[in-house]
Amino acid sequence: MSTSRLQHIKDHLLGEYTCAEMAAPYSPLTTHVLNTGMGVPGAHMALSLHRMDPSTSLWNLLTTGTTNDDGRCPGLITRETFTPAVYKMRFETGQYWESLGETSFYPYVEIVFTITDHSQKFHVPLLCSRFSYTTYRGS
Amino acid sequence: MSSTLPNSPLTTFVLNTGDGVPGARMALSLHRLDSLLVIWNLVTVGTTDEDGRCPGLITTKAFTPGMYKMRFETGQYWESLGHNSFYPYVEIVFTITNPNERFHLPLLLSRFSYSTYRGS
Repeated sequence: MSTSRLQHIKDHLLGEYTCAEMAAPYSPLTTHVLNTGMGVPGAHMALSLHRMDPSTSLWNLLTTGTTNDDGRCPGLITRETFTPAVYKMRFETGQYWESLGETSFYPYVEIVFTITDHSQKFHVPLLCSRFSYTTYRGS
Repeated sequence: MSSTLPNSPLTTFVLNTGDGVPGARMALSLHRLDSLLVIWNLVTVGTTDEDGRCPGLITTKAFTPGMYKMRFETGQYWESLGHNSFYPYVEIVFTITNPNERFHLPLLLSRFSYSTYRGS
């Protein structure tokens, strides 16, 4: 068995996915990154989704991904995996600004949120510039 | 938290945009990343006053270049007002390269949204 196939199986066994591997397109959790400094989508920004394990208070990595040209990242999580819990979305904003040749005040942005009713849809956007950011709960 | 030196080079201001009032009596803490051990060292704990401010966060001497984190206990705050909130807490991580400047790190907050910016 090839090394990459073994790694793929290992990743699935450990429950860690990349956005591209998610078969279900309709994730109950979505995001959208907007570069408000330049008035463009926040494209090709690395991000990750984590869930807090309540017994250990440790963060478990669920998904890694990169936003597309539109600043979106489909397939973040499946409905089955989206259990009530505390989640964290981490956006690699520092890397993003660096790739555009700019510095930024924030090396990364982490947004921690609580999901109690997992039958709803949740939209966790990030509007960011080099020196400011905003988020809100959408649906 | 000591406020003997009122002119902290780092200041904050919490605004409850949901109710249109200052974010008063919110617990917060300032941390600095120990780059060698890659852990967060607690620098200051405090609570915002009636005006949503927290004077005396750090002294000029202690304000060395590095990565800092301001943690706001927003979940507790909304709970004390009898509400739930989408965010259990808010952490803002920022980099200080030139500690000779003044940095203002406000938090504009509702139950379902928040915003911050680098002011001075």
